[in-house]
Amino acid sequence: MPNMVHNHQIDDNANAVVIRVSNVTQQYLSGSFTAVDNISLELRKNEIVTFIGPSGCGKTTVLRMIAGLEYPTQGELFAYEQPIVGPGPDRGMIFQAYTSFPWLTTRQNIEYGMKIMGVTRNDRQTRTQEFLELVHLENFAESYPASLSGGMKQRVAIARTLAQNPQVLLMDEPFGALDAQVRWEMQEMMIDIIGREKTTVITVTHDIQEAIFLADRIIFFTRNPGRIKADIPVAFKGGKRIPRKEDMLALPGYVDLEMQLFAMMREEIQ
Amino acid sequence: MPNSEEKIDKQNALTNLTGTLRQRKSSFFELRGNVSRRATLVLGILGGLAFFGIWELGHFLTADASKRFLPSPQKVVSTFWYLLTEKGYIYDIVKSCYRIYGSFFLVCVVAVPLGILMGCFAKFRALINPTISASRYLPAASFIPLLLVWFGPTDTQKMALLFLGVIFFLIALILDNTKAVQIELVEAALTMGAGRRRVVLGVVVPAVAPAIIDSMRNMIAVGWTYLVIAEIVAATDGIGAVMMRAGRFLKVDIIMAGILTIGILGVLTDLAFRLLAHYAFPWNRERRS
Repeated sequence: MPNMVHNHQIDDNANAVVIRVSNVTQQYLSGSFTAVDNISLELRKNEIVTFIGPSGCGKTTVLRMIAGLEYPTQGELFAYEQPIVGPGPDRGMIFQAYTSFPWLTTRQNIEYGMKIMGVTRNDRQTRTQEFLELVHLENFAESYPASLSGGMKQRVAIARTLAQNPQVLLMDEPFGALDAQVRWEMQEMMIDIIGREKTTVITVTHDIQEAIFLADRIIFFTRNPGRIKADIPVAFKGGKRIPRKEDMLALPGYVDLEMQLFAMMREEIQ
Repeated sequence: MPNSEEKIDKQNALTNLTGTLRQRKSSFFELRGNVSRRATLVLGILGGLAFFGIWELGHFLTADASKRFLPSPQKVVSTFWYLLTEKGYIYDIVKSCYRIYGSFFLVCVVAVPLGILMGCFAKFRALINPTISASRYLPAASFIPLLLVWFGPTDTQKMALLFLGVIFFLIALILDNTKAVQIELVEAALTMGAGRRRVVLGVVVPAVAPAIIDSMRNMIAVGWTYLVIAEIVAATDGIGAVMMRAGRFLKVDIIMAGILTIGILGVLTDLAFRLLAHYAFPWNRERRS
């Protein structure tokens, strides 16, 4: 894709830090509620990181600050060592709510982000077709979101965001509103797509199994105030991403990690 | 155990039976029940016929000497036709339509951008909204003397009254419509790199458009109710003026024909807005949530 030039020069080094969160605090209600308390973390290139934790632990707040949709009360956030000053297409975001534009067809929705970036018509059309196939929506290209199911709407949003070729993909409980079987399909589809697109990913979830399936690394948040409780590499997958969920469940080490996370969640409940 | 199986079979037959029965004989007062297209038409016509029946009955029961104060439906319809063919009533209708649609067009020109901007920008809202909210409580009719002094007994005066009667409500409605646009649509556009201008014109405007057409449809109905007030004072033409003149000579049939005219025009206007919404927003036709 010759026309999709990014403003940011990325260090080609595989270990380059893509996102850096540095001593960030976020307070609401003029200081009386601390959502995020002095958090620091680093995200390396091509990593898939999952933020997990109980409701109100600040995981979504951190994600939104990385997206540039919120500014911290204290501390700083960097993308590719540049301060984050606002939202941009280099950090694509998928929301839990369906955000495909209802007045645009699937095809027009996927094209929309590229249009904003000024991608030429020809490149846009080719790439839209590619992504329609990637998310299996070829047969719904001319449908409006109103006639799509929840899972399909979410696939439109994913295709629209990835078609912009973001450096980082931010997902805020992207499958939270879907039923169990669709959720499973979507998780496997994400592993497939992320593998092809080589994107760095942060996904927020409170589903432990989803966290383990998607992540290379799990960051566990605690609440009141929102802090990082643990930073856990998903070592049992041996640095690989497993395309089928049941294959992952069969691996030795899976249950141990699941129980560890359940135990941490239990502490949060009590 | 064959016995129990038989029992289950019987039970199934029974539930099937009651199921079909229930389907066939749904109660008239079924909560949130469905109505077929045909039933809608039939029920609508029945309701209309009942209305005219009661009217006719009222006319029939009125003493002969007073019958002119409650003319029959046929009399009103024939008076309507007489006005159209012999009295140049069409001119009054066109005049009233001009006042309504002209003033409402101006209302929209002001209210749509103002409402959308207020919905998008909190500081702009804080600047304008208190004044506009308060203005809704000013009775439009009380402006008549002022408008007469300013504009005299002109079309401008009548249109200004219609304008004032509707605009503050329409702005408030459009503000609410705009604020109700899903915030995630705006945030999604921002994360895709859309600028402020694109977010407002490319996301908020298309997202809010169907709701705005709906608000317009509701507010022009209010405009029709103000028409008679506007045309009662210092008017020589228009539907309201014709009715006012008829009142002076106790010609109840003409007054009622006027009411009928306004009713018909109101329904037609409503229909026009519905059709506009249907064809302008094909994506909004069937919601599947």
